[in-house]
Amino acid sequence: MDNTDRSLIDAHCRGDRMAFAELVRRYGGSVLGYLVRMSGSREQADDLFQETFKRVHEKAYMFRGTQFKSWLFTIATRVAIDSLRRRRRLRLVSLSQNVDCADGTCEQLNTVAVTDGSCEPSAEVVMAEQKEQVRRAIEMLPARQRAALVLAYYQQLSYREVAEMLGCSIGAVKTQMSRALRTLAQRLPDISGEVK
Amino acid sequence: MKRHLTERELIEYRFKLASDSRIEKAAEHLSRCGQCRKHLEKLVRRFAALDLLREEITVSDDLVERTVEQASQPVQRRIIPFRKSAWLSAAAAVLVVGLLLLLADNLSEKVTKKPEFAKEPTGIEGEIKFEKDTEITRAERLDKGVPAMKTFAMAPSKEETRVGKALGGAATSGVTGGIIPEQPPFAPASAIELVTLPRRENVQLTIYNSADLTLVRERRNLTLKKGWNWLQFMWANTLIDPTSLTLEPLEQKDKVEIQQLVFPARLRELGRWLIRSEISGQVPFEITYFTSGLAWRAFYMGTLAKDEKTMRLEGYVRVDNGSGEDYENAQTRLLVGTVHILDQIAELAKRQYPYGSPQVIAPGEVSAHYIITDSSFMKYDTLNVSGILSGDLYGGLSRKEIKKEGLSEYFLYTIEGTETIPDKWGKRLLSFEANDIAVKSLYKYDEERWGTETIRFVVFTNDEKHNLGQTPIPNGDVKIYSQADDLGFLSYVGGTSIKYIPVNEEVELNLSPARLVTVKPKLMDFKTENYLFDSKGNVSGWDEVQTWQIEATNTRILPIEVEITRGFETAYWQMKFGEKDISYEKYDVTHARFKLNLSPRSKKTFAYTVRTYYSEREQSLRESMTKETAK
Repeated sequence: MDNTDRSLIDAHCRGDRMAFAELVRRYGGSVLGYLVRMSGSREQADDLFQETFKRVHEKAYMFRGTQFKSWLFTIATRVAIDSLRRRRRLRLVSLSQNVDCADGTCEQLNTVAVTDGSCEPSAEVVMAEQKEQVRRAIEMLPARQRAALVLAYYQQLSYREVAEMLGCSIGAVKTQMSRALRTLAQRLPDISGEVK
Repeated sequence: MKRHLTERELIEYRFKLASDSRIEKAAEHLSRCGQCRKHLEKLVRRFAALDLLREEITVSDDLVERTVEQASQPVQRRIIPFRKSAWLSAAAAVLVVGLLLLLADNLSEKVTKKPEFAKEPTGIEGEIKFEKDTEITRAERLDKGVPAMKTFAMAPSKEETRVGKALGGAATSGVTGGIIPEQPPFAPASAIELVTLPRRENVQLTIYNSADLTLVRERRNLTLKKGWNWLQFMWANTLIDPTSLTLEPLEQKDKVEIQQLVFPARLRELGRWLIRSEISGQVPFEITYFTSGLAWRAFYMGTLAKDEKTMRLEGYVRVDNGSGEDYENAQTRLLVGTVHILDQIAELAKRQYPYGSPQVIAPGEVSAHYIITDSSFMKYDTLNVSGILSGDLYGGLSRKEIKKEGLSEYFLYTIEGTETIPDKWGKRLLSFEANDIAVKSLYKYDEERWGTETIRFVVFTNDEKHNLGQTPIPNGDVKIYSQADDLGFLSYVGGTSIKYIPVNEEVELNLSPARLVTVKPKLMDFKTENYLFDSKGNVSGWDEVQTWQIEATNTRILPIEVEITRGFETAYWQMKFGEKDISYEKYDVTHARFKLNLSPRSKKTFAYTVRTYYSEREQSLRESMTKETAK
């Protein structure tokens, strides 16, 4: 951790709102990216983002370490995993986008909307579908496997850093990663265009 | 390694998950096994799909703002170090003191009580009672309205102590023959002899959200004795601004005089008022101060009718107390508007000693900064607007009323009756409810603002025509639901944060991107023409001509209106259409706006050609427009 992070935390503990805002801006992008991939939903990630920084705000005075980023991601991981557990208990179904689909005709209609025109399904549509498949594949991973994958692959952290954040050994992280990747190997779409 | 590598081994090799020796062996095998290399390449291609989600995710300013706002409450620290030896010492000390007290009690039963104690005035009864209540629980104290942290205490002077009237609290410092000595006592007696005063008679809170500032005005009946009296005020573990403390007698003002407020050395978080009284007896006082840590926020729930033409809107106010002090039976007032203050109260409260004086505010600035200290505060016009309140967090009390008053640039909401808001508690109250608010569902597409997504809006006006308009609507979060079926189940449509909405102002609630309504612009043709050249043969002007096709699709079962905004990055543009029934309005100098009405489950396509002029060609456009205007 550089001195600026430490000084910002100290300033925040003294009640300096600007310091906290600076911390949010500095690490907001990476934390939000992490939470989007963990939750699979931008809306939910926004909520988790706020919850993460709320906990940072509340626990700032307890921060004694030297790696603020690690500490921040540890909190974000806990928030995300807690949220995933809650979601497992209570299956949330977003009704906002499917209000008019109660009769089940929407999917059909959307299909028509795509193919009804003179143009062929564009690469953009195919890519969107592939992205959705990747998102679903990651979403089906158990929480800790997902956290290990997102931190190591997308956040490009070392296995040692991931272990610190998840509070486990490097070996455990590698095991989680290995399991996650083996599962994904079966579920990820082949974007090269080959038929599986 | 003779056998082929398994998928697991390949993955562990690719992502360096195995031990160094196993990775080395796998590498060696791969160098001579084509089949395994192919398998690995296939896996690598498969995992390349993960990179599809590697797009840059940015945090919107709005999200940062909301996150910071959420953390605007001061950090509460509660660190209780546990030291075994210290605790054991404390326990031993308590035992010793207890034994001594028992002994003293036994002895005192055999001794005749001194007549001075029996002669205490009746007004002191409450004080003595409170001393006995020191063991009562927090909840009991709340019921009785006894302050939890901040305490008041009256101290007799040293002279008073010597004549044995310590419990009286209101000391007469050397009053001989009814004459009060001119010189006040240097200091009160030891704090051990202080007597706590009766509880608050009433308390009023005015919460200024924007500045994390609350004015507390509380009334207490102090029992004074003729002479000099000391009143002790403590604010340990609270967020009170000690520089803002004021004390004022509400009656007998000509006979009771507040002489000074002192902050004794080496004593933290307490101040003592020296009061000169020419009378003995009970006098009501008003104590005012500022504190931080109290906050309120408004939030709203809107329910759209099935046809989405009307909406029911319910407004709530939630008051949170993180000030470190319990406020029981407090009249609560909430102020909308921005207040400018010189210091952050939380910072002031954290000072070790309250150096500086209440006069830090320049005389000319008093009204601008601490406007509410003015006793004329209540003289502002009342708008006679009321809403119905219901519910409270733990009391199940009757429905209450929130009165709203306009205070020039501020707006004041007063919660009817009183509320008890203990420290660390929050309380939610219904502020208003309005039915059948006519709303318009509107979809907007503007690439410069929202990218390629179509955003859904609900539009209404805060006026009487829309069953609103009685008061401004404070900023807060709005969640919109719609009726999903005839059984009354709701589905979540979207949520947003609104800013302060004055009366008669239209509001557009941004309900996030819509998937069932799409707008897809396509560039069909592009060319440049009408080149101009200067005397040296360099290009000095040209036109760009673009033909766009816009396809708008509505897959909803309701008719909708879509607003499409297109920007041209220049003020010099002209537009033409293939079809005649399409028109646009010039939104601003560089933007055009189209409005489309789409019937349920339909698609509409139109095309336009825009010509943009550059450099010297801009001049030619200006000239042609001038000619047209002249005609």
